[in-house]
Amino acid sequence: MIRIQQILPNTKITHLILFLAIIPVLQFADAQNVPQASEEGKRVYEKSCAHCHGTEGRGDGSAAENLLPKPRDFTRGLYKIRSTEAGELPTDQDLLDIITKGMPGSSMPGWETALSANERREVVAYIKTFHDGFKEQESPPRQISLAGKIAYSEESVEIGKGLYTELGCIECHGNIGRGDGTSAPTLTDEWGFQTWPANLAQSWNFRGGSDTEDIFKRFIGGLAGSPMPAFEGDSFLNFGLTSAESKRLTELENRDEMTAAEEEESGQYYEKMDAAVNIALNIAEGTELSAEEQQTYTEAMKVVYEKSWHLANYVKSLAPEKRPEPAIGNNVLRSQYVTDALPAKTDAAWDTLESSHFPLVAQVIIEPRQFNPTIDSVNVKSFYNDTEVAFLFTWDDRTHTTAEEDEETGNILEDALAIQFPVKIPQGPTAPKPYFLWGGRLPVYLWQWKASAPDQVTELTAKGINNAEAQAVQSDIQAEGSYTNGQYTLWVKRALKTDDKKDLQLEPGVFVPIAFSAWDGANGDINTKRVISSWYAFVLEPVPSSKRFIYPPLVALLSVGLLLGLRGFVQRRNS
Amino acid sequence: MKTYLLACFTVLFACCYVGGAFADHHETAEMTMLQFPESYKAMSVSNGGTISGVVKFEGDVPEMKMLEITKDQAVCGATEKFDETLVVGEGNALKNTIVYLMDISQGKDFDKAAKLEMDQKGCQFNPHVQIVPVGVRVTMLNNDRVNHNVHIFSSVNKPVNKQQTKNRRKMPLAGVKKAEGPVSVKCDIHGWMSAWIAYVPHPYFAVTNEMGEFTLENVPPGTYKLGYWHEACGTNNESPAAVTVEAGGTVKQDFTLMLKKNVAESGKHN
Ligand code: HEC
Ligand code: HEC
Repeated sequence: MIRIQQILPNTKITHLILFLAIIPVLQFADAQNVPQASEEGKRVYEKSCAHCHGTEGRGDGSAAENLLPKPRDFTRGLYKIRSTEAGELPTDQDLLDIITKGMPGSSMPGWETALSANERREVVAYIKTFHDGFKEQESPPRQISLAGKIAYSEESVEIGKGLYTELGCIECHGNIGRGDGTSAPTLTDEWGFQTWPANLAQSWNFRGGSDTEDIFKRFIGGLAGSPMPAFEGDSFLNFGLTSAESKRLTELENRDEMTAAEEEESGQYYEKMDAAVNIALNIAEGTELSAEEQQTYTEAMKVVYEKSWHLANYVKSLAPEKRPEPAIGNNVLRSQYVTDALPAKTDAAWDTLESSHFPLVAQVIIEPRQFNPTIDSVNVKSFYNDTEVAFLFTWDDRTHTTAEEDEETGNILEDALAIQFPVKIPQGPTAPKPYFLWGGRLPVYLWQWKASAPDQVTELTAKGINNAEAQAVQSDIQAEGSYTNGQYTLWVKRALKTDDKKDLQLEPGVFVPIAFSAWDGANGDINTKRVISSWYAFVLEPVPSSKRFIYPPLVALLSVGLLLGLRGFVQRRNS
Repeated sequence: MKTYLLACFTVLFACCYVGGAFADHHETAEMTMLQFPESYKAMSVSNGGTISGVVKFEGDVPEMKMLEITKDQAVCGATEKFDETLVVGEGNALKNTIVYLMDISQGKDFDKAAKLEMDQKGCQFNPHVQIVPVGVRVTMLNNDRVNHNVHIFSSVNKPVNKQQTKNRRKMPLAGVKKAEGPVSVKCDIHGWMSAWIAYVPHPYFAVTNEMGEFTLENVPPGTYKLGYWHEACGTNNESPAAVTVEAGGTVKQDFTLMLKKNVAESGKHN
């Protein structure tokens, strides 16, 4: 039997006994101010949340080590996804919603099916006990008003676009929102961990949803604990003035000299602005407003809210309504036949094609692994003619890294992409394919591209992820790569047939397995540390006169199966 | 009544116990933060004394690290900038040390006329350590016409992270409810910008200048605990200096500080 003295220093034992003796008293006292944290909430938390968020809510559970973003430390009371104003705590409904839905783009799962509605409510009450602020709240948190929403329109988006620059979203999110702003590489959260700005073109990864209302609440309230600031009243130009007054003031300020009357006029505007700011500060400090102040404030905020809806509409316009379907089934990549020469990289002909979407997942199977991927997917288009095939690959990467030395490891890191095919196309959908991680017993044929040599693709043959070699004989492959506004574009052209037995040979109407690997140098990706896809398929779409094929539906089914299998595997690995 | 008293005592013990256990594992707020009195009453002080002294640094003085300016070069990179975590001047004078009275419960009022500002000129905060009375607004200045975000890592008070766009030359921040700190102040847009704010409940706080000097004036006669805090050198919370102030007199108290053990690995902020 373990005696209590063995675990605890002697002096503290008396304290402990006394402590145990008064537990009922303490509990009684607690019931008065702790927001009804029940045993049930604790049980749910310890079973489902503690291995990530830590028993004491510090975000230091056993699974936390490899995760980025880190599981939240609840003791600071910093919550990203709130319906409340900057500086305020979330509402219970906010917490319930995020626990129910989870946080896309992070390891925070949704608990809609795993926990009952009641269990979720209980766990909300429980996590609130980790931060004293919830107990000390004197009044309910101020919520962001969603009244007066401005409908989506071209004009609204255009106004929003101007505000995106004026307010400085661009600093972190980049010119057109791909998360490639000049401040992006140096951002850290309040716990000191590296953080990337959201890619606004991939709104399916937003933690708090991609509805216009969600976006609106995010930049008004900010994402507490992250570098993403709140854009409150006086973050906006000339807060407190009507649009007409604001325009007039800007005009006056731009004059070289003002007349006495104009001086006075602008002086009045400044006073009006100071008054509005003062009221906003009074509200933040919890001071009661007079009816007149309330009125002034409402008017000032009307302008801000209007601008905010335009901005939200603009941000909304940057991403498709939802994540594109992956390139399987009806969306399989079909290279389109042209009789003439294949279009060059910047040819407008590419715009006539829909791209096929290949989601990428972190490689967590083989060491070194990547648990925190930054590249989401690759989009692909393709044309072919009687002799050649051309592909256009695009993928978003927040940083343009061409051979930089990693300070910690001395490794040379750079952005790269590899496109993988089997050497021999499996005869029929049930024939075995090479192992999707760069082959094994069955070899794979690869096109390797690196950001430091953007106009070059190297052919590799691989029999395993750590067993790849550049081919001794390189076929004539033309390539052109470029990086703009957080996105790579790579154009590749090769003959349908080559003389090399180690190369893939292409023929219209035959479904060819294809898979991808991508590296983000700035994220420490190197060798096996990368993002990957499982096998997908593509086909040189036969010219209409050709005979019909029986494979497509089967191949499609098989790809779905594989994809789901890989996802499941990766998720199991992750958790 | 008896049981009530017993309960109170045991609660007290229990708290000590829990607190004690906690201290074994973590660098607690008690060790790293400023210590504030339970309450403070402002009154007029007519026969106060002065506490003054010099704070010096002991140890190898590391070379000042030049900050890497990664953007907005025209404004931020116009002059060379140095990391102000440890600023050691002539004669090992240690700048930016907060020296203060830990346990004063009554004394003079704040100087109501004092203008509280923090500048961001050239993309560096100035001052590096700012004392802000509870409930008083501090104004962030931005005359450079670049975008900043003012990010204050409060945990006792409401967190602040607010965009100050290039057009906003003066942005006052709401006064806070509670004494806290020092808390880290950052601009994420310019990742190298770093400063500290201490929200304080009484006016007996000073920050050492280039010569390492500090002065606390108009202190009511009595014996006090004199504490210090320095970003890289830590606090003397575990053994504050005892100083006795006499009416109209001046006491001297110098300090010699060394680097905290964990300062080398302190990329993170708590
Ligand atoms: C696999 C690890 C994991 C598990 C299990 C997990 N979480 Fe999380 N949780 C996270 C991560 C990671 C984040 C932070 C995501 C971010 O900051 O983008 C997070 C964030 C949160 C947040 C913060 C939301 C906000 O608005 O900022 C809440 C609340 C939360 N989790 C509650 C829970 C609850 C309750 C459970 C158990 C029912 C749970 N989590 C289980 C990983 C996990
Ligand atoms: C100082 C850098 C910075 C600035 C300036 C900034 N953001 Fe962000 N933003 C971020 C970061 C970092 C994230 C990711 C936060 C996280 O989840 O950790 C983010 C996330 C977002 C998100 C995703 C929210 C979600 O639910 O995940 C949206 C939308 C957004 N920002 C919009 C904006 C808009 C609009 C502006 C300008 C009004 C703006 N941001 C300005 C850094 C910034």
